[in-house]
Amino acid sequence: MPIELIREKYAGAINTVEIGKSSSPNALKIGGQTGLPFLFDEGKMPNAPIIAYEILDCPPDDWPENLKESYGRVVKNPAKWAKACVDNFGAQLLCVRLESMHPDKGRRNVEASIATLKAILSLSAVPMIVLGTGDDERDNEIMPRVSQALKGENCLLGVATQNNYKTLAATCLADGHSIIADSPIDINIAKQVNILISDMGYDAKRIVMHPTTTSLGYGMEYVYSIMERGRLAAFIGDRMLAMPFIVFVGDEAWKTKEAKEFGKVQGINWEITTAVSLIQAGADIIVMRHPDAAKSVKRYIDWMMGKQ
Amino acid sequence: MREFTVKFHPQGKSIRVTQGTDILSAATRAGIVVSAPCGGEGVCGKCRVIVDKGSVKTESSRLVDDADRKRGVVLACQTLVESDVEVTFTKESLEAHEHLCHEAEDFTKGVILKRENKFPLSPLISKVYLELTAPTADDGTSDLDRIMDALKGRVGALRLSTRLTNIKHLSEVLRESDFKITVVLAYREGAQEILSLEPGDTTGSNLAFAFDIGTTTVAGQLIDLKTGTILGTRIAFNAQAVYGADIITRMIYASEPGGMAKLNSGVVGNINEMIDDLIKANKVNLGDIYAIVAAGNMTMIHLILKIDPSGLRKAPYVSTVSAFPPVSAAELAIEINPRGIAAFLPGVSTYVGGDIVSGILACGVAENDDLTLLVDIGTNGEIVLGNREWMIGSAASAGPAFEGSGLTCGMKAVSGAMQRIIIDANLDVKFETISHVAPKGICGSGYIDLLSQMLKRGVMGKDGKINRDTASGRIRRVDNNYEFVLAFASETAIDRDIIIRDDDIDNLKRSKGAIYSAIISIINKVGKDITDVKKIYIAGGFGNYLNIENSIFIGLLPDVERSIYEFVGNSSLAGARMSLLSRDAFNATEGIHKNITYMDLAAEPGYMDEYIAALFFPHTEIGRFPSVRL
Repeated sequence: MPIELIREKYAGAINTVEIGKSSSPNALKIGGQTGLPFLFDEGKMPNAPIIAYEILDCPPDDWPENLKESYGRVVKNPAKWAKACVDNFGAQLLCVRLESMHPDKGRRNVEASIATLKAILSLSAVPMIVLGTGDDERDNEIMPRVSQALKGENCLLGVATQNNYKTLAATCLADGHSIIADSPIDINIAKQVNILISDMGYDAKRIVMHPTTTSLGYGMEYVYSIMERGRLAAFIGDRMLAMPFIVFVGDEAWKTKEAKEFGKVQGINWEITTAVSLIQAGADIIVMRHPDAAKSVKRYIDWMMGKQ
Repeated sequence: MREFTVKFHPQGKSIRVTQGTDILSAATRAGIVVSAPCGGEGVCGKCRVIVDKGSVKTESSRLVDDADRKRGVVLACQTLVESDVEVTFTKESLEAHEHLCHEAEDFTKGVILKRENKFPLSPLISKVYLELTAPTADDGTSDLDRIMDALKGRVGALRLSTRLTNIKHLSEVLRESDFKITVVLAYREGAQEILSLEPGDTTGSNLAFAFDIGTTTVAGQLIDLKTGTILGTRIAFNAQAVYGADIITRMIYASEPGGMAKLNSGVVGNINEMIDDLIKANKVNLGDIYAIVAAGNMTMIHLILKIDPSGLRKAPYVSTVSAFPPVSAAELAIEINPRGIAAFLPGVSTYVGGDIVSGILACGVAENDDLTLLVDIGTNGEIVLGNREWMIGSAASAGPAFEGSGLTCGMKAVSGAMQRIIIDANLDVKFETISHVAPKGICGSGYIDLLSQMLKRGVMGKDGKINRDTASGRIRRVDNNYEFVLAFASETAIDRDIIIRDDDIDNLKRSKGAIYSAIISIINKVGKDITDVKKIYIAGGFGNYLNIENSIFIGLLPDVERSIYEFVGNSSLAGARMSLLSRDAFNATEGIHKNITYMDLAAEPGYMDEYIAALFFPHTEIGRFPSVRL
């Protein structure tokens, strides 16, 4: 007797968010899916998950050697580093972390950092994610300036948190950027931040959620279930959870001692496995650090999408 | 160690203390009563003094704003003496002795008033006047048998008993009063006990007290048992609060050496002070009071009885006793007639106590055919769902915010508390205080109005943060906090502004979230929907006013048909009063406490999720509050 598979059909869909100048051939679309990842019998997945290469606006001082050496000398120059990602590794999306302006990391002035961003833009014509320093007070000073300098580029700026979202949301609204809404592995708080940002008049369809994740071996199943729950809620019609996900895999994986201390191959594998798990949980933008890991994950995405 | 002199104004008292002593301790030693409900932890901000002369070492506190700091205001408990000093107490630090009792109105409302006459008047204490014939050579019946025989004709077939103390004095009392005596009887456990014999006819006066003993608030009433009339009501913050705001801290304190004695004398002190105050106010004799009936949470009753509450705190969370036998009041140092009794209503579990059983009795939950919900909003928000066939009860740790404790300008529902608050379109604040006097602070019902108005006018966002972009002179920034001014110092009865701050809202948000999520969890647990509930009683120490519409607007209560809601006031106190006035009511509590199944929220997988979702105004799932338009 043939077994009939049960197929879930959902009414809702994840929002489609565009990053990059719409006039540019390099502009990207993420989201838009109507079912869980790669279950093509249940729903459509019009846009493949995208890997963003993470770079800094200054030479990285706390990245492990195994990781830094993969880029060679270019890490000393962010614009060249960015260009290498695009030219050598085929990066379609860059994620620039503005670490140099952090109060504990030299507090570089904002003009210098903006000049770096402009240099990156002129050397590599791919869309860009820009992250603040992570210090609320400093970010509220610098992000409006950064946002204004990038006006028209349709970047994705982050991150807006439960306790600090107003400045960034207002500035993204003014300068036409998309925004990353951050929450601490909690579906309710994720939704609350989305509501708060959209209550400011910001279009909920331009929000990308960072659910906060972890890396392999540090509670992945919990993160997975939170992301899956958010997705299922969106598919049954919750518009305040219908945002694509961004995950910072490189940051999570390369923090672990397993990645840092057991040789290059294990570090790369740690990043790959973390990325694949989160893609299966529904991640749309995967921010990665090691080019070899990124290339493997790209192959995996292409292979999975080929089954559509 | 060097010694210094501290001089206090306006009292003019002085005391020598060693260097490094805090000013609050120095004042206490000098015999000055200072308002310090937190017990010197530096968190309530009430013990404000101005340092006039001398040098001190002080911890800066967020509770003292810049303007106050400039005029030298410090918290006495956080300020150490470093030289000879002179300090002046602020009005507030001396005026509001938070633990002292305040006169209050009776807050009973709604269905309870209608039900109070349902139970026939048969008080726990009754008095019978007997005119006996003196014994003769032909009638050699003993004195006690003579009384017992006469009583049987008057009180029916109930078992009679008495104690040796009464028998010892029997002969003397009878003969001195020419065999005309009043017998005071107490009903306990199906029997009548002769408590006392009074010479002559004293049946004209039969009084007793009802109490509600809460973690944060204690309420007491003097009742005329002949008529059922309430002769007066008092409320006070539980004096145990100085040993910890929440019940867990107090349980831990009870297990420390000397801790139990202090906690016991704190709450017994509350009870005795209320008795004393009400007796004096009504000009009655202490000797005429033969009973108190108290409803309280399990820990409080354990502490009054000096029973170790540690079993309540440790898994599997079992109480020593849940149905308490009536005991001698004197044994508990409760100051009524030394032969009087103290009775306590039975509880269900560690966290669902006699106060909620009392509330069920008062509201008649256990008699309803329809699904009924009782929500008692206190430090532990207790919730009971059920009808005449079954009941399930649970408790959520809501914290004392809705009782006005732990907030910058919070206070009990007594004279001077803002209880109704309206913010108009220009962000001007209109308010009404209890007793219509100048405001001293904000009580629970005032906070519910305030939050709903702030949300409605956009003064506060859905996350409960004061909106810094609002154009109003009432909004100002203090450190990293924003605050909203309800009344400027010149309009108040205290010497500073009445405000609400971001962290006050945060506190209230957690309280309302705990209560709402507990309601939903308990309904889900039994597979019902909120729409299946046909009647909702809201109880709590809110004074005589609670705005249901505003409670729904902030997400404290579910958004259902308004007509099913009924605010009943302090249902625990009302149930204690009913039990005192009617043996049938008292006996009914026995059945109620056995009929409730306890549900532990902490063991419910979905509770935490519900709770986080409820930490938003009105709620993360806005679809659950269709009538709230923002």
